[in-house]
Amino acid sequence: MANSNLPRRIIKETQRLLSEPAPGISASPSEDNMRYFNVMILGPTQSPYEGGVFKLELFLPEEYPMAAPKVRFLTKIYHPNIDKLGRICLDILKDKWSPALQIRTVLLSIQALLSAPNPDDPLSENIAKHWKSNEAEAVETAKEWTRLYAIGA
Amino acid sequence: MESEDDMHDANDIDSLDDDFYSGETEDAPLDYYSDYDDEADDYFEDADRIESRRPEQNFTILKESDIKQRQEEDVTRVATVLSISRIFASILLRYYNWSVSRVHDAWFADEEQVRKTVGLLEKPIVQLDNNTKELTCGICFENYPRARIEMASCGHPYCISCWEGYISTSISDGPGCLMLRCPDPTCGAAVGQDMISLLKSDEDKQKYARYLLRSYIEDNKKSKWCPAPGCEYAVTFDAGSGGNYDVSCLCSYSFCWNCTEEAHRPVDCGTVAKWILKNSAESENMNWILANSKPCPKCKRPIEKNQGCMHMTCTPPCKYEFCWLCLGVWSDHGERTGGFYACNRYETAKQEGVYDDTERRREMAKNSLERYTHYYERWASNQSSRQKALADLQQMQTVHIEKLSDIQCQPESQLKFITEAWLQIIECRRVLKWTYAYGFYLPEHEHAKKQFFEYLQGEAESGLERLHQCAEKELQPFLCADEPSREFNDFRTKLAGLTSVTRNYFENLVRALENGLSDVDSNGASFSRATSSKNAAGSSKSRSGRVKGTFRTSMSSRMNDDSHWCCEHCTYANVKSATTCQMCYQQRR
Ligand SMILES: [Zn+2]
Ligand SMILES: [Zn+2]
Ligand SMILES: [Zn+2]
Ligand SMILES: [Zn+2]
Ligand SMILES: [Zn+2]
Ligand SMILES: [Zn+2]
Ligand SMILES: [Zn+2]
Repeated sequence: MANSNLPRRIIKETQRLLSEPAPGISASPSEDNMRYFNVMILGPTQSPYEGGVFKLELFLPEEYPMAAPKVRFLTKIYHPNIDKLGRICLDILKDKWSPALQIRTVLLSIQALLSAPNPDDPLSENIAKHWKSNEAEAVETAKEWTRLYAIGA
Repeated sequence: MESEDDMHDANDIDSLDDDFYSGETEDAPLDYYSDYDDEADDYFEDADRIESRRPEQNFTILKESDIKQRQEEDVTRVATVLSISRIFASILLRYYNWSVSRVHDAWFADEEQVRKTVGLLEKPIVQLDNNTKELTCGICFENYPRARIEMASCGHPYCISCWEGYISTSISDGPGCLMLRCPDPTCGAAVGQDMISLLKSDEDKQKYARYLLRSYIEDNKKSKWCPAPGCEYAVTFDAGSGGNYDVSCLCSYSFCWNCTEEAHRPVDCGTVAKWILKNSAESENMNWILANSKPCPKCKRPIEKNQGCMHMTCTPPCKYEFCWLCLGVWSDHGERTGGFYACNRYETAKQEGVYDDTERRREMAKNSLERYTHYYERWASNQSSRQKALADLQQMQTVHIEKLSDIQCQPESQLKFITEAWLQIIECRRVLKWTYAYGFYLPEHEHAKKQFFEYLQGEAESGLERLHQCAEKELQPFLCADEPSREFNDFRTKLAGLTSVTRNYFENLVRALENGLSDVDSNGASFSRATSSKNAAGSSKSRSGRVKGTFRTSMSSRMNDDSHWCCEHCTYANVKSATTCQMCYQQRR
C-alpha cells in the first residue's frame, strides 16, 4: 500500500492536526490515501463567509515538503483570490513556499485570506473588479453565495 | 584653426605607408604582416595594433577563467576590507550586483541594516546547547545526531538530506538559488556557498557554479556576454573613456557595447534603433530587394549577384557591365573616367506642373517610400556583400591561401596581405552599410552637408569597390596559374596598398561622420577641397581620437613629404616617381 512508507514528517503532521486542531479548521486524511486530506474551514466571524462551512481538498505531492501542498476549494465561494475551479491565489502555495511551513500554516493562511480578500492580486478578474468598484455589493454577493452553497450543505 | 593633432595623426598613419613603400628589400612589408598565428589572434592583434595609434582600448575580453579570477579577487577584496568570511563577502557582492564600491558604501553607511536585509547574522537566532547530542530536523521532523545536522548563520537546524532537497529544488528553479535564505520563513538568514558543498549531486553543484559565474557578468553593469551565437566570452567595458562603444570580441564578432547590436560606427545607437524599427515595419515592401537577382539593364535576362563587389558583368553574349546598385553602365563608375561614384545619391524626382492635393500626397508617399528604398537597398547590399566577404575570407583561409602558396611558391606567411585585405573589406562593408542609415536620417535641408556627405560616401564606395574587386577578381588568375607569375609581386603591392589606403580613408570617414561633418558650414561653400599641406609633421603628442572635423584637411595634407605625393583625386599616397596616380590614374597636379 502506498501509505506504508509515508515519511515521518507527514505522520507527525497528521497526528498533530488530529490531536490539536487549529480553531475553525479540520483536516483528516483519507482512509485509502494518507496524502489526501479532507479539509473544512469555518467562515471567519465578521467576514462575508461567516456561518459557512467550506470544504477543501489538500494533497501532499511526492516532493512534499520540498514542494507545496496542493489545495483547492470544493465549495463554491465568491472571493477575488479564488477562481471558479476553487484554485487559490496565495504566495506560500507558490514561490513563497518553504519546507519549514506545514499543512497547519497553509490552512491558517487560507482562513486569513477569507477574512482579508486582496482584490489587488486577483485570481478571478471579474470578482476583483466587482470588489474594487463596489465593495458593499460584492460583499453582499459573497454573503449570498455563502448562504446558497456553504450553509447546511 | 586646424588642430595640429590631425596633421600629426595623418602623418602618423602615413608613416606606415612610408615603411611599406620605402623598404629597399621585400622584407619590409613582410615584417609588417608576418607576426600572426591563428585567425582569431590575427584579428585581435590587428585591432590592438591599430588601437595603439588611437584612443586607449576601453574594453577587455574575458574568458571563463578570467571571469572566475576576477570574481575571486572581488570576493577577497570585500572579505578583507570588511573583515568578514569569503562566504558572506560573496553573498554581499551578489546582493549589490557585484559592485565592490556599492558593497563598501552600504556597509560603512549602516552595517547593521545591511546585515539585516542581506541576511548575514552576527550571532545565531537559535542557540545550541553544546551538550545536545540529538537535534530534530525542522523539515522532516526526524531526530539526528548533531553531526547530521547543518545550519546557516541563524542556527535553525535541518538535517543534511533536507538541506540537499531544499537547495537542489531551489537550483532547479533558477538563478534565484544564489539568493537562498533559511527554510524558516520568519528567519531570512542567507544560505551561502558553504551549504552548497553539502550537495551530493555534482550536476547541481555545477549548475550553481554556472549561475554564480553568469551572475557576475549579467548582474554587473560593467560587463556583458558577447552576443554572437555560441560565443562564451564576456566583455567588460570602461564607460569613462568617451563615446566609442565598439567592441571586438576574440571570436571576431564586433558589437556595440551600448545597444548590443552589431557594431555600427559611425552611426549612433538611436539611429540604429530607428533604422532597425523602420526596416521591420517596411520588411514586406522590401523583400524583393533582398532577392539576389536583377534583370540586366541591357538584355533583361535575370542576372544573379554571386560576388561581393557591385561591378556586374552579364553572361555572354551580352557581357554588359553595369552597377548592381544603380543599374547604370559601369564605365560611368570607373576609375579612369574621372567621374566618382554617384549611385549612392538619392535625387528626389523633380516634380513639375500643378498637382491637386490628393495627387501630391500620393506623390509624396511614393517618394518617401522610394527614398527609403534607395537607402535600404544600399544598406542591404553592403550587408550581403559583407556576408559574402566573410564567407570568402573563410574560404581563403581554409583553401586558397594554401593553394596559392603552392602555385606561387610563396610561404603562407607572405600571403597574409590577402587575409588583411579581406578583413579590411569586411570592416569597410560594415561601415559603408551604416553610412546609408546615416544618409537616410541626414536632414534634407542641410544641402551642403548632404552634398559633402554624399561625396565622401561615393568616394568610400568607389575606394572599397577597387579594393574588393582587386581582392576578389584580380586574385583569380594567380589561383588558376600553373606556375609562379612574375606579376604576383605587383599584385601584392597593389592589394596591400589598396588595403592601407582604404583603411585610412574609412578611419577618417568614420571620424568625420561621428563629428557630424562639423567642418561643413551649412550655407554652402561646401567642398572645395583644401589643398594646402604645409607642415604636415606637427609636433603635438596628443593622439586623442576626438579629432575635430578636419577630415578634408587631414586627407589632403597627408603624405606630401619628400618621398610621396598625395593624389588630389583619391588621396592615394603615390611614390615620388609616379606621374599619374597609381590608384585612379589621374595626372599629378
Ligand atoms: Zn534560520
Ligand atoms: Zn530533515
Ligand atoms: Zn564573441
Ligand atoms: Zn549601439
Ligand atoms: Zn545582359
Ligand atoms: Zn552605380
Ligand atoms: Zn588617385
